[in-house]
Amino acid sequence: MAAGGGAGNKTYSFKVVLLGEGCVGKTSLVLRYCENKFNDKHITTLQASFLTKKLNITGKRVNLAIWDTAGQERFHALGPIYYRDSNGAILVYDITDEDSFQKVKNWVKELRKMLGNEICLCIVGNKVDLEKERHVSVEEAEGYAESVGAKHYHTSAKLNKGIEELFLDLCKRMMETAQAEERAKGNGASQSTTSRRGVQIVDDDPQAATAAGGCCSSA
Amino acid sequence: MSHRSERRGIHVDQSELLCTKGCGFYGNAAWQGLCSKCWREEYQQTRHKQIQEDHALAERLQKEEEAAYANNHQGATQPQPAIAPFSKFEERKTKEKSRKVNTMTKFFTPSAKTPPKKESVPGEALSTPSPSVSRKPLETDRTTQEFIDFLKTLKPGREIFKQCRAFTESMAYKRDLGADELSECVQDFYQNLSDRLHTHFKGSSERVESVMDEVERYMMTRLYEEVFCPETTDDEKKDLAIQKRIRALHWVTIEMLCVPVDEEIPEVSDNVVKAITDVIEMDSKRVPRDKLTCITRCSKHIFNAINTTKKEAASADDFLPTLIYIVLKANPPRLQSNIQYITRFCNPSRLMSGEDGYYFTNLCCAVAFIEKLDGQSLNLSVEEFDLYMSGQASPQRPQAVPSPACSAAFSQMNDSLDLLTGLGVRQERVMEGARRLESDLIDWRDGVEHKVQDVLERFPLEMHPPASPTASSAIDADNVENDHLPSPLQPQLFAG
Repeated sequence: MAAGGGAGNKTYSFKVVLLGEGCVGKTSLVLRYCENKFNDKHITTLQASFLTKKLNITGKRVNLAIWDTAGQERFHALGPIYYRDSNGAILVYDITDEDSFQKVKNWVKELRKMLGNEICLCIVGNKVDLEKERHVSVEEAEGYAESVGAKHYHTSAKLNKGIEELFLDLCKRMMETAQAEERAKGNGASQSTTSRRGVQIVDDDPQAATAAGGCCSSA
Repeated sequence: MSHRSERRGIHVDQSELLCTKGCGFYGNAAWQGLCSKCWREEYQQTRHKQIQEDHALAERLQKEEEAAYANNHQGATQPQPAIAPFSKFEERKTKEKSRKVNTMTKFFTPSAKTPPKKESVPGEALSTPSPSVSRKPLETDRTTQEFIDFLKTLKPGREIFKQCRAFTESMAYKRDLGADELSECVQDFYQNLSDRLHTHFKGSSERVESVMDEVERYMMTRLYEEVFCPETTDDEKKDLAIQKRIRALHWVTIEMLCVPVDEEIPEVSDNVVKAITDVIEMDSKRVPRDKLTCITRCSKHIFNAINTTKKEAASADDFLPTLIYIVLKANPPRLQSNIQYITRFCNPSRLMSGEDGYYFTNLCCAVAFIEKLDGQSLNLSVEEFDLYMSGQASPQRPQAVPSPACSAAFSQMNDSLDLLTGLGVRQERVMEGARRLESDLIDWRDGVEHKVQDVLERFPLEMHPPASPTASSAIDADNVENDHLPSPLQPQLFAG
């Protein structure tokens, strides 16, 4: 489900998938972000596979649903089931593990092929607290991210570094995409959901609306 | 009709109007170009045939049902909560009969075809119609009442109800449409209604959602029979395929899937059992959202199990394998039909975002994984996998705990076995003691005898003959002191 509404006081709902090999710290990343916890022995959260966060960005409400995915290689083929209809993807690798970066590259290729440019991609090099053991060079990673139209971030779930920025930035980008989409569709004031199954025919008067262009301040 | 014949009259050759059988009478398009007489003959024939076929079908169904009933009677161990109690069974049977009458009339419509419905569902035929048929009037009435009560609190409630009812009724005429078209209709309706509600509630999505939930409940309770696993799809075939597949994979162990759950812990195995129950229960619900709730409950139990084992928050890396394991153990009835039904008719906002949607997606992933599963994904070689699949070999289990349901029994049995072994050892010891006692006793007796002998030898027994003569026969012979006795008296004769 894309943007949960048009302009004004509507709430945006975004779905973000977390992709990346097992052990790169996906879970720690979201737990840190949503509950500000790292390696907490005292369990209050049952699970870290589906988490939500409510945000307020420049006066607009955003509901973020973060979907963790199983990172083991044998579940790779299930990816499309997870990431369909998502607005953003966070691709996590471990800076000390070259292989996990290769995995990210595979994911990017697949996502671009399946979802095109509708999805906002973030490539995240996690565990920067282990800088000494770095195996993926900063230049290589950032260069690659730029070449595929993704943004690159350095994070450490342990030190709580770069995580807030990552999610905030992603939300802003997703909002931009959603707004652009609305404009393209005409002012979709009532278009609370995007097409569930590819093609959705808006039967009212879409032609007139398209011509009008981006007019967000509708009723 | 008149319109039609008029048009025919204008541009059709006279000969084409005649009966196609060539009897010389005029034909009629409504009778497939035959005249009334020929049509009646033809129709009677096909009708007769169809009646016969129908009888045969009815008989077969009856037999199947009886067989299923008998099976169910014996095999009451099936873990299916969906099975109706026996009292309901009779009720269902009569209902089934009335359904047959319905199909009978259906046969006479031109496009009728034999319902392939339960030709290939030996085990499932039983539970398939029971929840829906027997509960239908009661449940729909109650839902309607609840729906009306709910809507009373809303200003546009009457309008919403009218629309929903009209739409639900209109669905009855769309029965011949494919499942995807039906889904499209329902989804469009949801979309339109929620758009209007958004305008009405000024964008308060929570209230819109709550109304939409009730709308879904009302509509889908009524439409369930028509749109769940419809005959126009191959859902049922897929159900059977996945069921068979899961059955064939019975040998898959926790270790192969790397499930982070330790069923030795009672709390964990308890949660596993609950998760299995929940995922099976999904089939018994009619409303897509209730089905989703079952999946969510199942997932929560899984998280509990993982947490208890691992002592940390469960990630998707842990969750998915465990869910796969649960699905393999549960083999939920009509799995594919349920998934399709939810995808087609659930309110999209619930399904695509939200927690329920996440767990549902994971269930879809689990099913997809099970369908495609091969040796590699279980860290097995191709040969091993083929062997296990063909049933020629079974993987070595470190312990005999294949399923959580059995594990309790197994541990109990192990306890009993331990107890028995302990008993055996103790008995052995008792026997040992007894033997020792016996030999001790023998020794003691020998010792006593020995001593007695000794004593006897040391103090030989001197026999003092008794003082008084014992044998009167030997009075004279052995009498030692005879000499001291006076000579025996001689008889004397007295001559007087």
